[in-house]
Amino acid sequence: MLTLNQVSRRYGGATALDGVDFVVPENTYMALLGASGAGKTTLLRLIAGFEEPDQGTISLNGARIDGQPSHLRDIGFVFQNFALFPHLSVAENVAFGLRHRAHAPLTNETEIKDRTEAALELVGLTGFGHRGVSAISGGQRQRVALARTLVCEPRIVLLDEPLGALDANLRSRMCDELKAIRERLGVSFLHVTGSETEALTMGDQVAVLANGRIMQSDAPDMLFSHPGNAEAARHLNAWNIFDAGLCSHDLGQGPIAVRFDQIDVSDPGAAPTERPSLHATYLTGEFNGPTALSFFRAADGTLLQVVDHLSQPRLPDLVEGQGYDLHFAADALRQFHGAA
Amino acid sequence: MTALTTDTPSTTPHSPAELREKKDRRRAIALLSPGLLWMTLFMVLPMAMVIYVSFWTQTTFSVNSTLTTASWERFLSSATYLGAIWTTLRIWLIVLIATIVVGYPVALFIGLFVRNKTLQTALLVACVIPFWTSFLIRVIAWRPMLGTEGAINMILMKLGIISEPLTFLLFSEFSVLVGMTQIYCVFMVGPITFMLGRIDISVIEAARDLGASFGTIFRRIILPLSLPGVMVGSIFVSVMVLGEFATAASLSGRKTNLLGNIIVSQVGSLKWAFAAVAGVVLTIIITAVIALALRLVDLRKEM
Repeated sequence: MLTLNQVSRRYGGATALDGVDFVVPENTYMALLGASGAGKTTLLRLIAGFEEPDQGTISLNGARIDGQPSHLRDIGFVFQNFALFPHLSVAENVAFGLRHRAHAPLTNETEIKDRTEAALELVGLTGFGHRGVSAISGGQRQRVALARTLVCEPRIVLLDEPLGALDANLRSRMCDELKAIRERLGVSFLHVTGSETEALTMGDQVAVLANGRIMQSDAPDMLFSHPGNAEAARHLNAWNIFDAGLCSHDLGQGPIAVRFDQIDVSDPGAAPTERPSLHATYLTGEFNGPTALSFFRAADGTLLQVVDHLSQPRLPDLVEGQGYDLHFAADALRQFHGAA
Repeated sequence: MTALTTDTPSTTPHSPAELREKKDRRRAIALLSPGLLWMTLFMVLPMAMVIYVSFWTQTTFSVNSTLTTASWERFLSSATYLGAIWTTLRIWLIVLIATIVVGYPVALFIGLFVRNKTLQTALLVACVIPFWTSFLIRVIAWRPMLGTEGAINMILMKLGIISEPLTFLLFSEFSVLVGMTQIYCVFMVGPITFMLGRIDISVIEAARDLGASFGTIFRRIILPLSLPGVMVGSIFVSVMVLGEFATAASLSGRKTNLLGNIIVSQVGSLKWAFAAVAGVVLTIIITAVIALALRLVDLRKEM
C-alpha cells in the first residue's frame, strides 16, 4: 500500500502540490485524473524519487521511502515518451534492470534471458528481442517500456500518461491489455491521465487531482454519479456546473451540478412546473456520431451542455440564438457546499 | 452524386516525377561545384604536386625534376626521421588521452548537469575565450608559467614544497604536452558536450528507476551515448596535433622534433624534395588515424 501524507511541492513561487493525502491500496488499478499542469507528473516523480517533497511523507507498506535514493526504492516508472535506451536492443533494454541494478543484480545469463523472454511474452512481443528500439513502432515501444519495468517486479508501477503517445485505436487496445497484465501480476498500478474516459475505463479506483490536492478518490461509477465537489465534477466532463440562483425553484445558494444527459430542453414557458428549470440561449450543436452535443449559454454567461443519444432523441429542433428552458429532475442535481 | 474526372491533358513528354528528379540533380550539382572546385584547386592538385616533388632529385643547393627515390630512401633509413615519426605518434597519443581526461568531465558538467540552455552556451563560450588571443601568444604564455623563474616554480618554492626550481617544466616534452593539451582541449569539450546535451534526461531517470547506481548509468548509458562526440573530438584533436609544429618549436627548446618541425626546417633550408617526403608521410599517418576513428564509431548512424 502506497500512502502519501500531506505531500507538498513548490517550484519557486508556484505550488504544484499542496498537501496531498492519497492512498493506493494493494492489488489495485488506480487511475489519477487531472488537467495538464495539475501536478500529476510531479506527484509520480516524488513517489519515484526523481524529486523530493518540500513537506509531507511518502511511505510504501508502512516504511517511509521519501529521502531514499530513487534507484533503491523498487518502484517501476513507465515514462510518457517511453525513455528507452536508444543504443540497446529490445532485449537489452528489458534486461537492463535485472543486470545492472545496484541491489541484487542477476549474473546468471540464462536466468536473465529467460526472464527477459517471459516479460516480452507478457506484453506480446515474443521474438522482438534482437530488434533495435528505433526499428519498432510506437505501440511496440510502449510495450518494451512496460516489459522493462515489469521484469524487475517493482512493488508498485507508476504510469505517466502511458497511452498519450499512441493513436486512438492502439490506445483502446492497450487499455485492455494493461488491465489484463496488471491482474495477472497482482501489483498495484498508478496510472496518470488527463482523459476522463481513460481514467474511468481503466481504474478500479479513480482519483481526481486539482489545485494541488486530491479532490476525490472513489470507484469509477461512484465518482461519475456522485462527484463530491465541483472540481471533481468538472474533471469528469459530463456535468454542467452552474449557480443555483439561476433556477426557477429555490435551490439555495452556491454551485450545483447536473449531468449533460439529465437535462431536457423545452420551448420557453413549456417546461414542466414540478421540475427545476433555467433559461438559456442555444449556441450551437456538435455531432459526434452516436451522440449529439448541444451548447447553451445561461443568463450569467455559464456554458451548459446537453447530450442527446441518437437512439433516444429527446430534444426538440433547436434554432441558434433562440432562448429555451432547460429543465431537470430535482433528484438529478448535485449540490456542493463549500468552495467551488 | 457528382462524377469527378481526374484526366488532365498531358502536354509534356516527361512525368512530373522525372522533371522533379532532374531539377533536384541540377541543384545538387550546383551546390557541390564550388566545394569541388575549391578542393581540386587547393587540395587535390597541391597533394599531387607534393607527392610528385617527393620523387625529385635533391642536391645541396637545388632541386630538379629528375625522378628518384633517394629522398624516400634517406628518410626511411634515418634514425632521426623515424624517431620524429615515433615522437609525433607518442605526443599525439598522450595529448589525445590528456584532452579526453581533462575535457570529458568538463563536457559532462556542461552537457548533462547544467540543464539551463543559456548557462550551457555561456559556459561553452567561456571555454573559447582563450581563442580571443592569437595562437602564438597562447603558446608563449606558458613560458612565464612554467619557467625556472616562472609562476609555478615560485609558488611551489614559496609553499616550501620544493627547495630548488623544477627544470623539467619548460623546454621539455612536458611543456609541449601541457601547451598542446590546453590549446586543443576545447575541441574535445565541444563535440562531447553536444552529444551529452542530446541525451534525454528521462533516459537517465529510467535507468535510475530500474535500480542502477550513478556509476553504472555512466558506464552503460552516458558513456556509450557520448562516444560519437568523443570520436569527433578525437578527430579534431588528432588532425591538429599531428600537423603541429609551433607549440613544439616554442616550448620544447628544440628538443622535441615532430614531423611538422622537420617539414618547417627542411623548407627553411630549401630542401623541397625532403620536406615533401615528410609531408606525404604525415598525410598518410593522419589519413590512417581518421580512418581508424571512423571504423570505431559509425558517425552516420550516430549523428
